[in-house]
Formats: sequence, structure tokens, C-alpha cells
Amino acid sequence: MLTKIRSTANIGLTTIPIDVEVDVATAGFPGFTIVGLASKAVDEARERVKTAIINSGFDFPPKKITVNLAPADIPKDGAAYDLPIAVGILIASEQLPEETVFDLKKQFFYGELSLDGTLRPTRGVLLLALFAKNITGSQLFVPETSANEASVVDIPVYPVPTLHRLIQHFIQIKPLDPLSYLPIKDALDMEPPEFDLAEIAGQEQAKRAIIIAASGGHNMLMFGPPGTGKTMLARALPGILPPLTEQEALEVTRIYSISGLLPPGASLITKRPFRAPHHGVSTVGLIGGGSNPMPGEVSLAHLGVLFLDETPEFPRSALESLRQPMEDGTVEIVRAAGHVRYPASFTLLAAINPCPCGYLGHPKRECICSQRQIVKYRHRISGPILDRIDLHVSVSVIAVDKLSQSLKNNPNAITSKQAKTLVVSARAIQTKRFTETKIYTNSQMKNKDVKRFCVLSPESENILKLASETYNFSARSYIRMIKVARTIADLDRKKDILPTHIAEALQYKQMV
Amino acid sequence: MKQWNSVTGKYGEDVAVEMLKTKGYAILERNWRNKFGEIDIIAKKDGILVFVEVKTKIGELFGLPEEMAGKGKLQKVRNMATVYLNGKETPCRIDVVAVVLSENGQVTRLTHYENVY
Repeated sequence: MLTKIRSTANIGLTTIPIDVEVDVATAGFPGFTIVGLASKAVDEARERVKTAIINSGFDFPPKKITVNLAPADIPKDGAAYDLPIAVGILIASEQLPEETVFDLKKQFFYGELSLDGTLRPTRGVLLLALFAKNITGSQLFVPETSANEASVVDIPVYPVPTLHRLIQHFIQIKPLDPLSYLPIKDALDMEPPEFDLAEIAGQEQAKRAIIIAASGGHNMLMFGPPGTGKTMLARALPGILPPLTEQEALEVTRIYSISGLLPPGASLITKRPFRAPHHGVSTVGLIGGGSNPMPGEVSLAHLGVLFLDETPEFPRSALESLRQPMEDGTVEIVRAAGHVRYPASFTLLAAINPCPCGYLGHPKRECICSQRQIVKYRHRISGPILDRIDLHVSVSVIAVDKLSQSLKNNPNAITSKQAKTLVVSARAIQTKRFTETKIYTNSQMKNKDVKRFCVLSPESENILKLASETYNFSARSYIRMIKVARTIADLDRKKDILPTHIAEALQYKQMV
Repeated sequence: MKQWNSVTGKYGEDVAVEMLKTKGYAILERNWRNKFGEIDIIAKKDGILVFVEVKTKIGELFGLPEEMAGKGKLQKVRNMATVYLNGKETPCRIDVVAVVLSENGQVTRLTHYENVY
């Protein structure tokens, strides 16, 4: 008998419906073959499905079984087809009368089986749910441990603990309870920050810059000797980032779902991502890739922050590969298996020392590097990358009296809570501004958006022109500076960009 | 016990031969072998040469006889068949006969699969 079960394949972030056709032939030498461009993991489903069916108390039919994963030209990977194949075999071998399975056209099965018949957590359940939402009347049968991912989508989702329980559901001995729909708003919560801005001594300018970066999503570079608080400032950043909106949370969670990085039982990524890869990272690790292309750190940092501590220590090829995503907000990965596009709209936060020993420009300690060493060190970060960074901040040495003052409670220091309020209000202005467009922050503006939303007064324009001529800014820098000024104006709650805003934006620009 | 396996196998082959005869097959060879391997039965019906692999098991508790005739085994039969044909072009196929015996030697199941390769 022939049965068709529905499932899906995820190629990058696109979901494609897959028909799992299972045929249990009445004649023919017993065997079990899977066709339809199945990868090794899918081919191994034969052994898992066979053992799981037997261990769930059913018979594995000693007949010729052919499974076809249609359409046949799309490569299938992963273990998610175990469950549809197992259900298909049980129906096709007539151990489960088809009438009891209500509506195979609307039911999606997805999940990896373990040998004892329990379902294991499977990547990409959220993508399946978002896809199935467009088909009216669809139902999902997914592993219990991954089912929470789908709870934020308003369709019936049945968490399946074991194959045996699923069959009990179908023969109506013990029906499964569908997962209750969890509106995203309720899932977004706030956690206290790891570091509070107030804990960091001095560095008022850097704190101001980090607030601007958080508000507008601008790239930022911190520059200074070791031990002055660059890493602490970076660690404090997640605490002042605005909460994710519903749409953003879904976008981020999709990437984590496909990477299998959602913690078991979690339904949604509720915090803005903060990714801090070690400087040993490879280009593929940073950008994404592999024979079946997976998202890299830039995509995992989508709508959040990518922090590169000790930036010059990163492999040059990895750093240079950041150019395209920094400009376009997406990465396109081309491999033999096909080409995929992952979103990668992140805020870059880089921390660098002025020279290899770290003490160049230190007021008291002497730098021991030769001029050649310094030049070589600086050259590790190329001009095009620096040109894409809007906020250059020097994090200088803190005087001892300031340090001791900060250890006693300094009432003047801005706290993360205050900073967050500022950031949230600036983001609210941006959200309102970009309601008709697909972007969320000032830094994502394209040239036409800049033209539309950033009207400069003649006086402001004059300052900018003068500065550009003096310092030879590139066309890109010119546009980027206007975007920073827009964010500063938003923080100031001003509708127009005033000369003071331009002036502040200018002082964060690299002047070398 | 391993030493009894050959006895079981031989008995299974006898059962298979009887069945093939009643089905109208002419038995040409039994245990045709050279140093590379063996073909259990070579038979002929309606002008088609049939190479038969017989698999016998006592009980199905430790696996089906069908499972014991996997890809590798069938490939071996195929190679042997090529040797037997020695370049002759005649229609032929490979069959498997699965024999399941009970503890006291009764045949509980006898299945003939045609053209398995």
C-alpha cells in the first residue's frame, strides 16, 4: 500500500514542503530503501525507524519498503524525517487504519526518533510552524522537547513524547493535548544586566557612545590600553539594549531554531543576541557555511551585537569577510549544495589596543613597540572595515582618584537602567519613523531613507561639508555620519538634526 | 551449535528443491561451486535460468532468513552466476527461498522470492 505523509525541509531559512511517500509492497524481496537525494543522516533513518517501530510494540513489516522524499531534486538533510517515515510505514503496512489518521494532507510530521521510540529534540521546528501557518487547518506533530518553539505560532501543535503515544492519539485511546498558544508579548521578559554601566569607572565619553550605538545600531570601535574597561563596557551593552519586538524576536528565533541553538524547552529568543566569538574563529565560523550551509556568528548576532575583542588578533580573511554583511545586513553563502541567504544585520563592537604592547599614548608607561610593529599591527584592520565603523572612541587610562571614587557609590554615574530608558525612547522614535519600511534602526537606513528622514538645516550641512573637506571623508562616511547625527537627535528627542548633533557625530569619527 | 548449521542448511535446500520441483522447475545443478563460492540451486523454467539462494533459519527469534541474504550475499551469487554462464547470453534471474523451521524440524514457513537482484 502507498501512503503520503507531509513534512518539510529547511534550506537556509526557506521552508519547502516535502512529501514522504511510503510504499510497502505486497510482493518482492524484503528490503528498505530511501530515495530522493537523502543525505547520510536521512539514509541512516532506516535503522532508527526499524528499531523504534519494533521497540514501540509494533511489527516491522518483512516486505519491500520504498520511501521516496519528493521533490527528488532537493537535498534532504537531518533526522527530521524519522517520524514521517515511521508513521508512513505503520499506515502503509496497515497496522494503523488510515481512517483514524484524520487528514494526512493537513498533518505535518517532523522529528528524530531514538531507538526506543522516544522523539529527540529536532532543529527547525519554528520554521515548520511558520510555514504550516499559511495552510488552513494544518496540524503539527513535533517532538515534545522542541514543541515549545512552535507555541508562538497560532496553530494546533501536538507535542509528541514517543511514537507509541502518537499512535495512541490516533487510535483515540489517549489523545494528546495540543500546546497552548503563547503570544510573543508574554514571552519577552527582561533580565538584569550582567554588568551595570555605573560599575565602570569614568569613561563618560565611551558610555555616551555606547548609548548611541545601542540606540541606532551603529558600529563602534573602542581604542585603548589594556585594563581600562573596554571589555566591561562591551559586557554592559546587552543590559542597555532595547527589548526585542515581536517581529524581531521571531526573526532571531528562526536563525537559532535552524542552528539548533535554542535551549531545550525554550520557545523564543527573548534577549537581543550578544555574540563574542574568540579571535581564533575561522571565516566559515564567522560568516556561516559548511556543505549544508549553516548560519555563522554574524547571523547569530542578527539584530544584536557582535563583539570582537582584540580585533587585530582575528584572522584577516575573517575580518574582511565582514564587509558585505556590514553593508547589506545579509550574508549570501554559496556552496555546491545550493546558495542560501541569512540575515546578518548586527551592530559591530570592536575593541583594540593602540599597539602590540598596549601602552602607546599612555600618560605614564612607556611603549616598547617599534614603529614597524605598530604600523604592522594597525594594518591588520583594513581601511574599508574602519570606514564602516561610525563611532570611534578612545577608552583612556583612568586617574586613580576617579577609580577610588567609583568604588564608593558615585551618584553621578549613569546606571544601565537610566541608559536603557534613553535607548528605549530613541528606539521608539525610530520604530515609529520606519513603520512603512522594512528596517528597524537608523543604521539600517539606505541612501533613499537618509534623503527622506534626515533633513539637515543649512547650518548643519555647512559644518558637515567643511569637515568632509578638511578630513577627506569618503562618501560612505558622509552618509554614515548623518545617520549617527540622526540617532543623537533622536536621543535628544529633536525632530530636526541640529548643528550640535552633527558636531557630536563628527567627534566620534576617526580623524586619521 | 555451529556444527549443526550445515545440517540445517542442507535440509532447507532439500525442502526448497522439492518446492521448486512441484512448481515445475527443472533442477540443473545443486551446490555448484568453485573456489570463489557456491550457488545452492541452479534451475530452469520456461527457458529462464534461475540461480537460487536458499536461507534456512530455525525460528525467527534471531532474525528473518531474508535478512541474512543481504546485498553482499546476493552480489556473490551474481558473481558466481557470471562464472557459471561463462559468456553465454541466456535469460536468467536470481531467486531467494527463505525456509523457517520449528525446533523439531517442521517447516513453518517457505517463501519464494523471484527476481530479487
